Amino acid sequence: MTDATNLGPTASPARKGSLLVQDARTKKRNAAEARFKAYGVAAITVGVLALVILVTSILGNGLSSFKQTHLTMMIELPEAKLDKSGTRDLEVMKKVTTIGYAPLLSNALKAEMEANGIAIDGLSKKDIDNFISKEAPATLRNLVLADTSLVGQTVELKILVNGRIDGYYKGRVTAESALLDSNVSPQQLQLADALRDAGLLETAFNPGFLTMPDASDQRPEAAGLGVAILGSLYMMIVVLVLALPIGVAASIYLEEFAPKNRWTDLIEVNISNLAAVPSIVFGILGLAIFINFAGLRASAPIVGGLVLTLMTLPTIIISTRAALKSVPPSIRDAALGVGASKMQSVFHHVLPLAAPGILTGTIIGLAQALGETAPLLLIGMVAFVREYPAAYSEANGLFGEPSTALPVQVYNWTQRADPAFFERASGAIIVLLVFLLFMNAVAIYLRRRFERRW
Amino acid sequence: MNEMRIVERDVSSLENKIEARNVQVFYGDTHAIKDVNVDILDKTVTAFIGPSGCGKSTFLRCLNRMNDTIDICRVQGKITLDGEDIYDPKVDSVQLRAKVGMVFQKPNPFPKSIYDNVAYGPKIHGLTRNKAELDEIVESSLRKAALWNEVKDRLQSPGTGLSGGQQQRLCIARAIATAPEVLLMDEPCSALDPIATAQVEELIDELRSQFSVVIVTHSMQQAARVSQRTAFFHLGNLVEYGETGMIFTKPKDPRTESYITGRIG
Repeated sequence: MTDATNLGPTASPARKGSLLVQDARTKKRNAAEARFKAYGVAAITVGVLALVILVTSILGNGLSSFKQTHLTMMIELPEAKLDKSGTRDLEVMKKVTTIGYAPLLSNALKAEMEANGIAIDGLSKKDIDNFISKEAPATLRNLVLADTSLVGQTVELKILVNGRIDGYYKGRVTAESALLDSNVSPQQLQLADALRDAGLLETAFNPGFLTMPDASDQRPEAAGLGVAILGSLYMMIVVLVLALPIGVAASIYLEEFAPKNRWTDLIEVNISNLAAVPSIVFGILGLAIFINFAGLRASAPIVGGLVLTLMTLPTIIISTRAALKSVPPSIRDAALGVGASKMQSVFHHVLPLAAPGILTGTIIGLAQALGETAPLLLIGMVAFVREYPAAYSEANGLFGEPSTALPVQVYNWTQRADPAFFERASGAIIVLLVFLLFMNAVAIYLRRRFERRW
Repeated sequence: MNEMRIVERDVSSLENKIEARNVQVFYGDTHAIKDVNVDILDKTVTAFIGPSGCGKSTFLRCLNRMNDTIDICRVQGKITLDGEDIYDPKVDSVQLRAKVGMVFQKPNPFPKSIYDNVAYGPKIHGLTRNKAELDEIVESSLRKAALWNEVKDRLQSPGTGLSGGQQQRLCIARAIATAPEVLLMDEPCSALDPIATAQVEELIDELRSQFSVVIVTHSMQQAARVSQRTAFFHLGNLVEYGETGMIFTKPKDPRTESYITGRIG
């Protein structure tokens, strides 16, 4: 370029010098290229480093949440305590609350200690009671109420231990920190070690993390993602069912049928802007329209799904239009040339060719919606939910039962005091990331599978 | 190949298939076609020649209303097919295009099998009642397009896998499968090598027995080889129209002479 401007009227000076020696200009150009490559490599290195740090920190913090410490004990279920009437009448038996079941567990632990010859100085009765998770009596009660024939027998049962004891085996709690901690005593840790030596206590894979509902502040060991996963699943179904057909229909109309005028330009600009609207704004909108105006129930997956649909629509419309645009016009001409109508040419030829792009866009939109937190906070999906939401119920309709969602559960857990919840929040992030990776893998697979060259 | 062989045929006895009267085409504010009058004969090859941008393709696309797909394009004047105004509001452009087929500059087979490419037109127009009839149409169309022998063993393989010349003949087969009365060809050979071009030209000459063929071409030799009638367009005007032999040997207009002798273009 600059060579050309150097050409004066006095003709260009003859180039002299050997090809084997680089002249100054060539050196400068090569140096510039080398610098640019270095910038690129540096940028990629920073990106990869950030990813590695993110993944290692999350895996380091969160992987342990998939393991949980359990105590295996023989538990006596005396009829005198659980069913005084002896009729095995459920209504009567339900009157015995978890408070009635807790002593059975403490007694069982004491019996196991005696049987294995474990004696620890300074171990109080409270230490023994608190050694077992507060969730365990409820687990036991549910088991007995489900099968009343167990009353009067002695059953072997795997029960959860207190989160602090679990933390001891995950490195969160040490003998020194236990001295300062009012929730756990060094004697409990000694007991744990003794039980572990006796083969009763073990830290193993915990499917409950994926299936159990959330638990209160006092029992992090029992908290799981069951409700959150269900809620997220319901919302994804709502988003897919609403956003895909609406988004694709809107894009096809705008791209193929709509006249190009001021109005369609305006719509186009607004769709692009909508994609950039902060998600919390959609939350306010959902609160105002779906809950306050339409009267849908707060915390319901249907409301979350509707809000996320509004958020996902622009993404789907933009990617679908891009996919439609990338279909060569010669295909449309060919179809019209043999006498296909506009709609036939779109549905028979253009849409199949655009399908991989549309699917990819949809799945990326869904993945975005899956990870969205802010709007869900505003429509009450941050609530503490213990009951598994049903997909349909008479009272609440389709996807109308209160639920929570994966990213909100992460947010929720990070707010709690017990460090065990921080571990579980990281674990939930791993689950979320696995889902996202899975969806992206599906997107890539579909693209490869359906992509056609022309 | 390059010899200026003039096809001498008596075409005076044939009827007019398409009549265009005072056709004007505007792209926005640009006046692309200015007052064109032309009669296209039945069972004849008519060639449109002229320098780039002279409007010959635009005019061709008016004949089956492909210009409808361009928002800013407006067509005025009257074009009739067998005496019926094709720009009449009652005319559905889809029905028109079934009668007036089109082959494009770049071979554009659908990314489907060879069979489906040819069968698509008859299918959407409901020309067949069963699979056997459809098979028959596909075979006869491919035969007419001189492609049958090359593809009969791989009808289910993708049409996009054929060579350029085969693809273009496939597009011709696809166009004639809907049994059109007029076949419009927009520079059908510009993307083909000389051998494929020769095959397509031979094919065009054979198609003349059944269809009225209108071909836009950049190559004057091609116009001379395949057509009986030639129209010369220049800057949106139809400068001269007549028998191919006359246009190339005794042009009346100085612009035509300049073009065919290579002084403008």
